Amino acid sequence: MTLAVYLPALLSLLLVAVSRLAVRHALPAVATRSLALAAAGAATAYTCCLGFLALTLLDDVPPLSALDHLPGLPKPVPGPVAVVAAGLLLWGAVRLVRDQRLRRDTTRRLRAAGTPRADGLVVADWAAPHAVAVPGRPGHVLVTTGLLRALDGRERRVVLAHERAHLRHRHDRLVSMAAAAAAVNPVLVPLREAVAYQAERWADEEAAAQVGDRGLVARCVAKAALAASPVLALGGTSVVDRVHALRRPAPRGRWTRLLVPGAVVAGIGVVTLVAAAEFAALAAAWLGAA
Amino acid sequence: MAVNAGAGRRPHGALEAEILATLAAADGPLSATEVQRALGHELAYNTVQTILIRLLEKDAVQRRVRGRGHVYWVKHEAASEAARRMSATLAGRLDRSAVLQRFAAELDDDDARTLRALLAEPPEAP
Repeated sequence: MTLAVYLPALLSLLLVAVSRLAVRHALPAVATRSLALAAAGAATAYTCCLGFLALTLLDDVPPLSALDHLPGLPKPVPGPVAVVAAGLLLWGAVRLVRDQRLRRDTTRRLRAAGTPRADGLVVADWAAPHAVAVPGRPGHVLVTTGLLRALDGRERRVVLAHERAHLRHRHDRLVSMAAAAAAVNPVLVPLREAVAYQAERWADEEAAAQVGDRGLVARCVAKAALAASPVLALGGTSVVDRVHALRRPAPRGRWTRLLVPGAVVAGIGVVTLVAAAEFAALAAAWLGAA
Repeated sequence: MAVNAGAGRRPHGALEAEILATLAAADGPLSATEVQRALGHELAYNTVQTILIRLLEKDAVQRRVRGRGHVYWVKHEAASEAARRMSATLAGRLDRSAVLQRFAAELDDDDARTLRALLAEPPEAP
């Protein structure tokens, strides 16, 4: 058994670590998409790799152990490794189902909160400051009076533009993709958070372009965050980062800035393909032997 | 209906939502002139008036006579029902990561201090 079998999983993790640095200078739209793709690719490589290891458990089946000398079949990995791999796969599958069910359920319940009468907006008469983009066809914005009252007219326009950007670009799909990857492989949780952060940045930039005033968006993000009860430290620092980013000049989309994220995504893509091919070859060999 | 606005342009639906949000943020019913002022940007009185009528037709707002004109407010029943369901959904979940598209995030004390300082400062030079 060589290290090569573990390589796709290890390499994809390395690329994931690199990918967060790679998008530092990219436009939020590029960063969100690259990171979501990187997460999906890394999770696929990880799954194939574990599947490959778990399949070697079947080496104990006589017809297959007879084929051990054939090229394309690995020498059996230590039994415990294969068992751990199978266990991780199963755990990932359970987490994946639970995560996606929770997301779907939450969206469904938020959609049931109200049908927009005016175009794309449902107001909830609630003092807690919240604004949520509820995806769907078409999606709508759900916002509380608590948030609306904390802001002035121009700032309310920013919030609406921000949430509509989430809907228009289907950010829920990208975030859900990264969340699925993180559920399969918890090592990818930071990547899920990074995708969520970049999606917020993307919506901030769209709102800024629409109202034509970055400072206004920065103040609005800060005010909305301060209006929320200062209890939990969930994504708080990311709000500060968003405000800082908005106070700098608008990021410019130079094509050279696509190179590094593009290379990272391509790298993960290659690793994923190699892992998937290895897995498919082993599965085919075993199926043929059985 | 597809609402697809380029940067800098606003679809008509955006105006409807903005005016509805303005009414929802107000302490009491507002006249068209008051809505126009609260919006905080130039929008013709006639446009505001037109959209208020449209919101009325869509049953999103109610109005009554005040003085020589009308005042408008958001229908309360739908808004409190939405609040009940929204709070049940958000409060009933320990894992709030399922709702990532939130505008207002929670802050700790340090973050709050930083943000207050940023709000007080003039913008950074480009």
